[in-house]
Amino acid sequence: MAASLGFKGDLLATIPGLRAFAMSLSQNADRADDLVQETLVKAWDKQSSFQPGTNLKAWLFTILRNEFYSQMRKRGREVQDSEGLLTARLAVHPSQHGRLDLDDFRKALEQLPEDQREAIILIGASGFSYEEAAEICGCAVGTIKSRVSRARNRLQEILDISGEADYGPDAIAAQVMGSTVG
Amino acid sequence: MQNSINQQGCCAPFGAGRPTGQKGKDKHMTKQTSGVASAGPNRRRDGEPLGANSEIGRKLKQYYDELVSDEVPDRFAQLLSQLEQAEPEQQKD
Repeated sequence: MAASLGFKGDLLATIPGLRAFAMSLSQNADRADDLVQETLVKAWDKQSSFQPGTNLKAWLFTILRNEFYSQMRKRGREVQDSEGLLTARLAVHPSQHGRLDLDDFRKALEQLPEDQREAIILIGASGFSYEEAAEICGCAVGTIKSRVSRARNRLQEILDISGEADYGPDAIAAQVMGSTVG
Repeated sequence: MQNSINQQGCCAPFGAGRPTGQKGKDKHMTKQTSGVASAGPNRRRDGEPLGANSEIGRKLKQYYDELVSDEVPDRFAQLLSQLEQAEPEQQKD
């Protein structure tokens, strides 16, 4: 009983993060909350398969992500938008260089293909390591790194941030790989 | 949190794993936006692509933090209570 209460409490504590991730993936508040609800039900049913002491948040994010993609498949939507097309459609120009409006950023984020968006969110915002993100997405660590750097390049392109954009993807990939700082 | 970004000095060489789901298209990105050269002198290299010092990194956090701080509807707590009551005699260790 106590263990069960603890699990419930742990689930409750991760809800804000789950909702943020769901929102980032689906870009839709209703769908996001449906995803979270579905995730909680699944997590509850599978709680015996969760290893206490391991990363509950990562486990829940994995469930939510799987749910998201399975819903997308049911809807018959393409999981990956063909790259480049969307970016070309809308260029957002911040009024001042280096000063981005949050709304502009949101729009730019929406234009990323799901795989890149989730990667950059997991790494840059949700606080997961590359290894954890790879686990959540069921792919290689190198794949996550490459998606993050492509997402970042793409965002810079859309938002017309110059500066680091001059570096080719290889240079950035090298940075992502953790070249020395300073 | 910043740590997870900085501690990538790990051993996997880039591209060592099979790049699942990556298409040959990637090459297209190599030509990049050379037109932006006007602001070239501005380029800075902060060594942490999504860290606190990058504009993208900052906006990403701002975007996400806003979502995280959104008030959670009661329905989720209610849902969990219902789930809990549905199997009260369940015993696990």
